[in-house]
Amino acid sequence: MLKSVSRAVQLAARLSFSRSFWSLSSSGAASGSRPRLLTATRALPTLSCGCGSLHTEGDKAFAEFLTDEIKEEKKIQKNKSLPKMSGGWELELNGTEAKLIRSLSGEKVTITFNVNNSIPPQLEEDPEHAQKSPEDEPEIVSTPNFVVEVTKPGVKSSLVFDCHFPEDETGHGEGEEESDIFAIREVSFQPEGDVEWKETSYTLNTDSLDWALYDHLMDFLADRGVDNTFADELTELSTALEHQEYIKFLEDLSTFVKCK
Amino acid sequence: MGVVLRNLQNVVPLRRAKLRKDVEVLRHIFGVQRFDMGIICVDNRRIQRINHVYRKKNQPTDVLSFPFYEDLRPGKIPCVLQREEYNLGDIFLGVEYVMQQCKETSQDLHEALTVVTAHGICHLLGYRHETEEEWNEMQQKESYILSEFNRLTGSHLEPLTKRSTQDMRP
Repeated sequence: MLKSVSRAVQLAARLSFSRSFWSLSSSGAASGSRPRLLTATRALPTLSCGCGSLHTEGDKAFAEFLTDEIKEEKKIQKNKSLPKMSGGWELELNGTEAKLIRSLSGEKVTITFNVNNSIPPQLEEDPEHAQKSPEDEPEIVSTPNFVVEVTKPGVKSSLVFDCHFPEDETGHGEGEEESDIFAIREVSFQPEGDVEWKETSYTLNTDSLDWALYDHLMDFLADRGVDNTFADELTELSTALEHQEYIKFLEDLSTFVKCK
Repeated sequence: MGVVLRNLQNVVPLRRAKLRKDVEVLRHIFGVQRFDMGIICVDNRRIQRINHVYRKKNQPTDVLSFPFYEDLRPGKIPCVLQREEYNLGDIFLGVEYVMQQCKETSQDLHEALTVVTAHGICHLLGYRHETEEEWNEMQQKESYILSEFNRLTGSHLEPLTKRSTQDMRP
């Protein structure tokens, strides 16, 4: 009994479904044209082009948008060339990854950071100020996590510090910031030159670390040129590099999208 | 907890470990080891802004104290009922201002910061120097604290004179 009832319900549902479609397809009788919902395949608004790729009206609009966007970004680009770091740091670039290298009395110090995902989200705190003019827009600053490797001559392992720029405890730009400019998150000995992180090396996490030990670690870094001045200059370099990479990405995207 | 130390400036090269060690000795001498406190090192721009906001004085200074317990009788250790109340407050050290003073007087920066911090802790414990009497009482306390500090560490620190500090408790 149950089976036949359910079958009947299914049949009824199908009938009403097709009935709705029938009435929908009949509604054009008054207008004189019958809308084609199910019969015609969706026509893509393509532009004629001989390159063999798909080019749509959407792509054209996108390309125009990108042209304007690139123009605007170049206009507001603060540094056409990357700012120099003080302290004799040598810069090596590999796309979005940067290395700063310095030698100090036989010790080698290497700072590595990546500008990808280095811009913290900027939350709108005051709804009254939601409609800001371009001049009032907060400045975009890149504050990347960075790794400091200190290698002593003749020692197989490097002392590695995983550092970051803590988000202000009181929010962005409002009130007094009371976090250190940069902070150490983890410290570990890692084999020198190895790209892969050795998981079996003890990693000191600073979350629950004795604060006197933490201060000694910060002083250790400061003695090697990794201090607040360095941190401020690093954010300037990172911000300029990120912007440069962003513009390059927009240009590549524009090339990819455009009709040639 | 203990002492939360923050360095928000890049004008003066700071030895964090040394400053913390000296502050710990001071806390022990004052008898406030159980109490948390914040030491925040700032430059002239920032301390001038705080001075302006809280004391209506638009100029940099050496130290500004923000006591957790207001209106304490000078030198009285607060009576605490709950764990979260073991807090003395925050001291902002105008390290750039202090460094400039040290250049004029050929004093060691970190010794000067220790003296200024002792002064700041006195403020957190209710000491003021708005009247001559208050100043004398505070300077007596500072002299005692620093003489004990010198005895324990072998240093030769001296209290701040009337000319050298402009701070008043906000």
